[in-house]
Formats: sequence, structure tokens, C-alpha cells
Amino acid sequence: MHQAQAIIERVRRVSAGIQRLELAVDKAHRTLGGGQFFLARVAAAYDPYLREAWLPVEQRGAVIVVERPARHVYMPNQVVDLLGPIGKPFPLRETTRTLLLLAYEATPAIFLLLLHTALARGTAVALVLIGQAGHYPLAALPQAVEVTRAADHAAWAERGQQILWADQIFAAAPPPYDAPAYWRLLEEVRAVRQLPAAEYVYGVFQPPMPCGIGACQACLVRLQSGEDAPACTEGMAFDLLSVNLLQNLPSSTEG
Amino acid sequence: MLEITAGKSTLHLNPPLMGAAGAFGFAGEYAKLIDLKLLGALVTNPISLKPRRAANGSRVVPIDSGVLIHTGLPNGGIYKMHRQYAAKWRASPTPIVIHLFGTADDMAECATFLEQQDQISGIELGIHDTLTARETRTVVGAVRARTQLPLLAKLPLYQAANLAAAAADGGADALVIAAPPRGTTRDPLSGQLVGGRLYGTWLKPLAMRLVGQLAPRLSLPIIGCGGVHHPDDVRDFFEAGGRAVQIDSVVWTRPEMVAAIAGALGGTELTRMAGALADEWRTAGEAAERRTTLIPAPPPPIIPSPPEF
Repeated sequence: MHQAQAIIERVRRVSAGIQRLELAVDKAHRTLGGGQFFLARVAAAYDPYLREAWLPVEQRGAVIVVERPARHVYMPNQVVDLLGPIGKPFPLRETTRTLLLLAYEATPAIFLLLLHTALARGTAVALVLIGQAGHYPLAALPQAVEVTRAADHAAWAERGQQILWADQIFAAAPPPYDAPAYWRLLEEVRAVRQLPAAEYVYGVFQPPMPCGIGACQACLVRLQSGEDAPACTEGMAFDLLSVNLLQNLPSSTEG
Repeated sequence: MLEITAGKSTLHLNPPLMGAAGAFGFAGEYAKLIDLKLLGALVTNPISLKPRRAANGSRVVPIDSGVLIHTGLPNGGIYKMHRQYAAKWRASPTPIVIHLFGTADDMAECATFLEQQDQISGIELGIHDTLTARETRTVVGAVRARTQLPLLAKLPLYQAANLAAAAADGGADALVIAAPPRGTTRDPLSGQLVGGRLYGTWLKPLAMRLVGQLAPRLSLPIIGCGGVHHPDDVRDFFEAGGRAVQIDSVVWTRPEMVAAIAGALGGTELTRMAGALADEWRTAGEAAERRTTLIPAPPPPIIPSPPEF
């Protein structure tokens, strides 16, 4: 975990809603695993107050490419304050030959570093874009990836075959869709595989993370063991068999 | 430096700068990022007698120039937390103050246990918003009767003026003014109303007014807390009557400011000299801060609607 400044070297529009920023980063930020990200601050002012999660999608030596919504405006030479890398790399097993990635309702950018790693290893990768994720531009994805789109989980026709095909599954849904989506996915997995093994199906938890260092206790994920684990230091990917999905479902709260 | 002395021990706050409960974790989480020796003391995240799980649902909701946080104050209970963190507390480069919350009986039992531990330099009590002055006196008195450790009472913002004298009567050695206030806002992600603690730069004037009102009326030291994001904020709290300051959410948003703030204190308590120009009492630590403010803010968005892709 380091705090350092980075410089935006290039801003490239990928689609109507997405842009990619090429960042010249500090040496401490050049070692990244798939699923790790940065908490970034662009302006000196405190609005927005919290740092934003910036998801790396590519790494080329001292340059890291991050994906940002096109509605934000960035300029070349702009200086950015980065905190990271946040989280643990996604635990892609050495033995995984077929990898299934599921993106629900949001950009699959969180998977792109992992996806490049898997392809470089010769792993076959299938990416399913569900709901709003289906609008993600295919041109922004490597050609070697098999992409399926579905309007919702029920409309994902090949789910049985694809779950059976996969050696490992990673699913990502933004809050508050995460726990309900993973619950449904786990039901599908159990229907196909009866007793799924540990470290087989992972869910990515991406709650807002004020500190990113495990101090503020705001991003805790409830586990079956009775413990709570911070997504920022223990995640963001959790073995879904270890997560108490029922207790992570959204509900009304009072402080 | 501020010294808070209780029966058998003294909490030396040098510099008079503390990491506030709820922001810095239970031990050395921020040691990876900042030099904890810069703090005069570190207050742990809130600890209760019995274990508590994290809150359900949305826990973080951004608001204008701030954030609402609702964690549920998760912790493993005093005994488990002590087993888990005692070694880190003992090895901490800065004194550790345990923040307790709960009923009077719960906090008294926790204090009895902590009294026997050698890693702890003080206890801070989280006084709940709903307590009356009489109840506050009872709570603080119950803990005071069980411990000779320096005892701080952290008062709720909107009740601080009513509860301060009662906390002092109960035996508190210092008052922390104030705990982050509670608020309710709608979470744009879930669509639900979420209640929680509020943090942000805008808190400073609220807390500072209370410090200014209470400091002349009370003989015990007041520790200002709320909205501190810059060395100037600390000086303002001192000028208002505070003897030390706690910092909280600034460590999430701009961790580098901890060094700037501590550097500006320089291990001594500052007072503003009459007629001093701003540059005359800035330190090298703040020079770095001024440079960062030269980063140009991005121009306003040009696309009004937020398409996803």
C-alpha cells in the first residue's frame, strides 16, 4: 500500500460512455494483480469527499491504463493522487484451464487485468455480460474472449453448460445487486455441480471503501464463519461458499 | 504537549494530536501509510463488552463535501479484541487509548479488565446521544470507579453543551468535543434511507463553536474533534480553547495531511501571535501541502447525463 502521484499521459475515448486513461505511475504502483485497484483523488478540493475507485484494465511497464466513465473530464498532464494497490489479486488457480467471468449490471472492467493474465496462460475465457453490462463495447475486450450477452440472469440460456464447462468462476455485481446476484448464481452452481468445491466460484464485493486499508470497517463482508472481513484488504473476491449471502442482502438500516 | 493525569498514570499527548475512534482502526492499520509516531495518541475503533457484527445494507453514502458512514460498530468484544491486538498495542509507537461504548455496566466491566493491562494508556468513553446529564454522570462515574487510567469522555455534538458538566462531575479527565453527529440521507444505490455518522470539512465550525463555549466554563482540558483537514484547522481549535485535537476522516481522504498537521505542531502547542502573517508560521510540512493545492481542478463535466457505456 502506497500513496503516490501519477500523471495522466493520454486520454482515449473507447465508446460513448467510457474513456481510458494512461497513467505514468510510481514504481510502487507498477506491481498489480488482476482485481487490484486504486483509490484516486484528482482535485485538491474535498468534493467528492471520498477517493474514487479506479480500475486498471491494462498494464504496460510504468504505464497503467484505467477505465473511467466518459462523463468525467480529464486532461493530459493532469496529476492524480493514487492510493494502492487495494485488495488482493483474484485467486486464479494455476490449474484453471477454462475460466467463466460474469458481469452483472455494470462494466466488466474489474476483470480485464485478470482476463489478460488468463489468456496469456492459455486459459480459455468466457465472459457473460448480464443486464446493463451487456452495453459494454465489445471492441474494448480482447478478441480471444468468448462473449455472451443476456438481458438478465434468467435469460442467460447457456448457464448450465457454461457453469459445467468452467474450472473456475468469478462474478462481479455492484452493490446493491451483489448479494442477490451471487445467491442466484450459487443456486445455479449447486444445481449443476451438486457439491461445488471451495475456491471454485467467487463473488466480487465492491462496496464504497472510505479508507482502503481496513481501518474504517465500512466495507465488511459477512462470512459463514461468523466473522466479518473487510473487502478492501481481504477481497474484493470472496469464495461464495464462505460468504453468508443472506446476511449480506440489502436491508433498511439505522445508525 | 498536553498531559492528562489520572490516579496512577499520565497520558502524554506530544504532539497534542490524536487519531480519532472510527478512523484509524484498532491498532496499526495505517502504519503502512503514515508514521504513527506523528500522533500523540491513537484512539482505537469503538469496542464493546460483547461482540458486534457489521451493519446490514448500505454503510457508506457520499454527501456534499462529506460522507455518511454506518458501520454498526463491529468488533469482537473487549476480551477477544484484547487477545487479538494486545501485542500490537504494546508495540505501538504511539500511546493507545481504547474507545469504549455500551451501557454503564458494560463499560465499567471493560474498564475493570483494561485496568489490569499494561498496553493501554487511557480510555475514551463514547457517550450516547440519548443519555441525559444524569445518566452521563452515572456512566462516567461507573467507569471512573473501576479505573485509574486517564479517562476521556467523547460527547455527542448536539448534546455536548448539556452533558459536559455532568461528564466532568462523573470524573472524566478530559472531554472530546465532539463525536461525529448522526444524520440520515438517501443512498442513491439502494434507494433506501440510511442513518449514520457524518464526516466532512463542514463539521469544524460546529465543533469549534462548542469548544469555544465550553472551554471557559470547564477546568478540565478539551480536545477538539470534527472537520480537521488542515494545520490551520488545528490552530483554530487551539485558539477556540482546545488543548489538543483529534483527526478522523482526513486520514481516509488525504493521509498525507496527517504529517503536515503533525509537522505544523512540531511537538509543541502553538498559539497565534498577534499580527503574525500566515507565512511566518508555516512549516516545511505545509509547504508540501501548498504545492498539492496547485494541482488544477478538472473542468466541469460536459456531458450532463451519465450513460453507463
